This record gives sequence, C-alpha cells and structure tokens, in this order.
Amino acid sequence: MSNFSKYLNVLCRGFFIACALMILPLSATGSDFSAGKAVYKKANCMGCHKWHGKGGGGYGGVASSLRDSPLDEEALALVIRCGRPGSGMPYHKRKAYRGENRECYASTREELGNAMPARARYFLKESEIDDVVNYVSNQIQRRGEPGHSDCVAFWGADAKRCQMMAQ
Amino acid sequence: MTICNRLLVIGAVIVLTIAAAAQANETSEHRLLNAGTEPHNWVHHHSTYSAQRFANLAEINRETIGRLKVAWTYALGGTTGGGIWPIAGLEATPLVEDGYMYAIDGWGVLTKIDVREGRAKFVWRMDPGTDKDWAGEIACCGVDNKGAALWGNAVLSHTLDGRLIATNKNDGEIIWESQLADPAIGETITVAPLIVKDMAISGVSGGEFGIRGWLEATDLNTGKRRWRRHTIPAPGEPGSETWQDDHDAYKTGGGATWVTGSYDSKLDLLYWGAGNPAPDWDREYRPGDNLYSNSAIALDPNSGEIKFHFQYTPNDPFDYDGVNELVLADTEVNGDPVSLMLHADRNGFLYAIDRTNGKFVYASSFVKRLNWTAGIHPTTGRPVDYDPESKIQHYAGIASGRSKPKSDLVCPGAMGGKNWAPMSYHPKRAMLYIPVIESCHQITSTVAADDEKPIPREWFTAGGIQQTERITGSLTAVNVKTGKVTYKAESEWPLLGGVLATAGDLVFTGLPNGDLVAYDAENLNELWRFPTGSGINAPPISYAVDGKQYIAIAVGFGGTMPKWWIDATPGLENTNPSSMIFAFALD
Repeated sequence: MSNFSKYLNVLCRGFFIACALMILPLSATGSDFSAGKAVYKKANCMGCHKWHGKGGGGYGGVASSLRDSPLDEEALALVIRCGRPGSGMPYHKRKAYRGENRECYASTREELGNAMPARARYFLKESEIDDVVNYVSNQIQRRGEPGHSDCVAFWGADAKRCQMMAQ
Repeated sequence: MTICNRLLVIGAVIVLTIAAAAQANETSEHRLLNAGTEPHNWVHHHSTYSAQRFANLAEINRETIGRLKVAWTYALGGTTGGGIWPIAGLEATPLVEDGYMYAIDGWGVLTKIDVREGRAKFVWRMDPGTDKDWAGEIACCGVDNKGAALWGNAVLSHTLDGRLIATNKNDGEIIWESQLADPAIGETITVAPLIVKDMAISGVSGGEFGIRGWLEATDLNTGKRRWRRHTIPAPGEPGSETWQDDHDAYKTGGGATWVTGSYDSKLDLLYWGAGNPAPDWDREYRPGDNLYSNSAIALDPNSGEIKFHFQYTPNDPFDYDGVNELVLADTEVNGDPVSLMLHADRNGFLYAIDRTNGKFVYASSFVKRLNWTAGIHPTTGRPVDYDPESKIQHYAGIASGRSKPKSDLVCPGAMGGKNWAPMSYHPKRAMLYIPVIESCHQITSTVAADDEKPIPREWFTAGGIQQTERITGSLTAVNVKTGKVTYKAESEWPLLGGVLATAGDLVFTGLPNGDLVAYDAENLNELWRFPTGSGINAPPISYAVDGKQYIAIAVGFGGTMPKWWIDATPGLENTNPSSMIFAFALD
C-alpha cells in the first residue's frame, strides 16, 4: 500500500468515525429522519410497503419488505430513482428513461418494453431521494418486527393504531 | 267575532302554517315509497327503492341539449388525505329535496346548499371530525363516501371511521350518532344508508382487511341497533356448509356490503350485494363456495333474516366482488312478464334474477374480453366449468393459486367488468346503461397460512395485481328483454362515475378525465360534452326547481384510479383532484 493510500485510508476511517459520532446522538432522538419520513409519506411509499415497511399484498401489487431488504443505500436509491422493471415499483426521477438516457439499468424505455416500470405520481429531487434512503436504511431496514415505538415515531403518540399496539 | 276569537283563529292559522311547512320538510315513509311521483326531487341514494336512477324529467332532451350550460358550481372542500391516501375524492350522489341539496365529501362532511334560485347558497355544514389516519390507513380503495339519506327531519350519513349520524335538516346539528363499524378490526364505512320503514340499513367495507361482513339496521327513533346480519354464516347457520376449512376461515371471510341495496315494498324484501371472500387471491385458504360472498341476498327487513340468495362466482379466485347494486325492474323476457333484479357483476356478466324467489333468468356478457369461464349455464346460472364435487374451483384454469403463483392474463380484471359506479335503467325502453371497465390483468398469489390469523388492520389479500396493459371503458346499452348488448360508446378511459338516464331520452355519465357527456338513449350517439377540469368518479343526478330541470354531479378525482392504476390509464396522470359540485341547466 502506498503512503498516499494509507493516508487516504486513515482519513476515510477518521472521517467515518467522526461522522458516525455526529450522527449517533441524532438518530437516537429520531429527529434526523423527519425529512425522510416526510418523503416516505409524500411519495406514498407506505401505499404499498405500508407504514412499517413490511410490504405484502394489496391493490398496489405484492410489495417487497423493506425491513428484510438486503439493498445498501446506493441500491435503494437506484430502485427509487429508476423503479424496478417487471414489478409495480415506479420510477421517481423525472429524467429517468427520457430519450437515450441509460442511467437506469443501462436501458431505454423501448428496450425494457413490457417490463418498463410505472411512472410515479410524484417525482422526487435527488435530495429527497437521499432523505428517504436515509430514513429507510436507518429506521426501517433490519429492525425486526415493528413495535409501539416505531408506530409512535410514524403516526404520532395520539394515533389510535399505536394506542392499540400498546395494549 | 270577538278579539279573543280572532286571536284564536289567527293562532290556529299560524299553527297550521307551521305544521304544513314542517310537513313539506319531512321525508315521510309515504314519500320515500313513492319517490317516483316527485321527479323534481332526488330523495334516495339510487333515486327510488328500485335503484333505477332514472330521472322522469324531459325539459333537457335530445332537441334542447345544445343549450345545456353551467348553471352554478360550489366548492365542497375536503380533499385532504389521511392514512395511506394522499388525497380524498368525491364519489357521492347528492340528494335534492324541495330546492335544497345535501352533498357529502370523502370524510363524511355533510353540506346543505340552497339551490332554489338557480345558484348555490351555503346553508350549513356538519363536520363529524373523522379520525383521518385511523380510518384512512384501512380504506382499501380511497377516502370515499357514497352519499347520505333522508328521513323525517334528519339527514343520515356515515363516516369512514364507522359511524352513522343523524343530522337535523334545519340547523345541521347532530341529533344522535352511533358507532357501527370497528376500525380496530379493519372495518370502515363508505356506503350510503338506505332508509326502510323507520330503520337505516348500513353496510360495511373491509373485504381486503379480513373482516366478516354484515348489514345492520338502526332504529331511527332511538339510534339503537335493531338487528345485525352477518353475510358470512357462523358454523351451524345456513350456508356454513360452504366453508369447508378446519381453521375458522369464516371469521375473516369477507363479504363486505359497501354498495347501497334496494327494496321492494310489495314483497317487503330488502336486496343487497355481498362482496368478495377473503383472502382475495388464496382460495385454498377457504375451500367451498364461500356463501354469501359474491351474492345477491334477499332479506326480511324486519328481522334481517336471509330469505334467499343468488351467488355469481363461488370460491372466487379473482376478487370478483359481487357487491354491485341490484336494479329492480318489471318487464318481459321472452314474452313472459317478470319481476327482475338486475346486476352487472365485476365478473363481466349481467345477471337477471327473479326477485320474488332468487331464481336465475339469464346472464349475458357485457364486456369485450372475458376468459375466466367458458360461459354461464343457461338454467343454473353457475359458470359452466363450476365443479360441484370440488371444494376448489378452477373455472377456465387461468387463476393463480398455491400451485400456480402467477395467473394467466385474466379478463375482466378485478376492477371490472363493472365496479361500484351505478348503472341506470330506462323503464320505457327497457334498456340498461352500464358504466363498463374494459380491463385484463395478472394476479400474483401468496399463501395465507392456515395456522396464521390475519393481523387486525393489515391487508389480508394473499396476493396482488400486475396491471400489464391499458385499462379502457365503455358505456354499454343492454336490452333487458333479451339480455343482448345493443350499443357501446367506447371510451379511452374506464367509466368510474355512474350513469343517469332521463325521460328526455338522454344518458349522462362522467369520465375520469373530467368530461361530463350526454348520449342519445336510442343509439348512444354523443350529443353533448363539458370538460369540468378534474376527474369524475361520482354519478350524475337530475332535479328541478320551479319546473326548471338541472343535471348535477360531484367532481373530485380520488378512489383507487389515481393511485393503483395510473400507469394503465395514460393521460390521467396530470388529472388533479378537486372538490366541486357542478349543476347544468338550459340557458
């Protein structure tokens, strides 16, 4: 390993730890994810994946579970931007699949044919995609069965559905 | 005459005048039974007990239609979303009584509008304070309310969070309210009540959330329950033999009752549709015919006892929710006089049933593509590929299930045939005008494990839909005497709003792109069109004030279409929600 690489490695690790230290206290309060939760509601992710992210059947199709999803943040962002070909997951980036644009699965609309994902009703900005990815990866993925605190974090303490879970 | 006597006479006159005014304002049982004799009013959800939605008014007709212009508009409000729904829509049929309109939005907010002077003037608003997230999270198909009902000096209406409310017509104050449905177990209410005698009949929604459906009669004098009848029988009750599982599937068996029924006062029978069995797409969870899902049910309105039934799609693997309205019509079939109930099912067939005994008369397809069965048996009314020896029905073999996770292309799709949007019957022509959804789709089934009970308030569908092709529609005319389709007015979009036929030989319907269209009842030639600028998923009505006829309709795109099906209806993606009443009259 060259000196430069070592330097870079140390810098990156140091940066990561510094960032992690900055993020941890925020995530403990949950306030860091309010923007992402707002996007999750606005873009109607919960219409199919449900408020808890477990997905399942319904008129939107059979949505996959975000709680069990193995996707990393980059892959999540890609699926949100570009949709998932051959499924009901729509694309949320306005310019995706426009003309010869191949940023999504290296494919054009014509090449995907019948597998072409639906267009979302609400397009998202890159910053909004970052927010919702941040929310999903930190508040939904790999967090087991949703509980009372998850419910309150999503719907608020006054929500009857959360009061029901507390019983 | 002494002063004292004069005062007595004046006093008596005042009392009589007040009594007469109160009388005019009262929606008596006599008036409800004879609603057809006051065509200037629209006092039932479906216009009359026979649910024909025919306006016996002819000032607006094929000759004068060119002069039909907007008379007034009124913004109801109420588009706020809640739960899983970003917006609320308008699906309601407004009611009109003696120059006053009662209109309701998706959250059950009821508004009284004075329309006596040919414009809209606010009178009062009753806001029931519906819990939006509590109810909106378990509303399968949008934040919707189909309409209100009138009785005495009260307006009866439901809320999405499951209440029946009696509101004073004069001041908009709530007289009483009663909690009927329980959102904690996935129940909501979207249906308009039907008033029979001194009872309000209410239905329930939630067939996608594993409810056990019911009809309930509320005593209008007290607000207390008179009876409740489950549409899915308990063990030992008639019909329970059609639930042949070993895990109490009946407890979550579906059979929701979310479209208003009809009533024959001579037979004293109440007719109501019961919806799909649950879970929608795993029929092996519920072996057997699953009565009374997907059935027309005839009940004794005094006790709620089921007198007879007719089932359309036993052991349904397609979500062919048989809840659609039952239109009562007396006509001839093959030269024989018959008392029919007519039902256009999601499965693509129009059924004519003898409403005196539930016997099958005929069925005929009203859609362009239908492949789930090879046909309906001409004497039994069962699908010809129904196997009475089998607990699991396969029909044409295209359904998904435990051994076939993905279905073939199924036509019609689960949205229709025809959905809840009501059809209209023209009695003089014996013609039925059906708002048709022409669609096919694929279904992915998952297994609803036998040992797992559905989780309250979670979807219990055991699968989902893949909409692989465009959904279109048509207004379809059927000659009821023969059952034959005579005309189709094609539409590039599905018909989601419902139909009104009039004595002016016009047929009105609203389209999801916002156009209100009038057709010639003779041949469905288009005669008139007005773009309202939003989407329509509510039925038109007609009323008159001082002899002047109006056509009115709620315009507020909501429901499932903008959410689940937007990719299958290109052109509608830019249709924005609104919340308006439009009224039209000759200029």
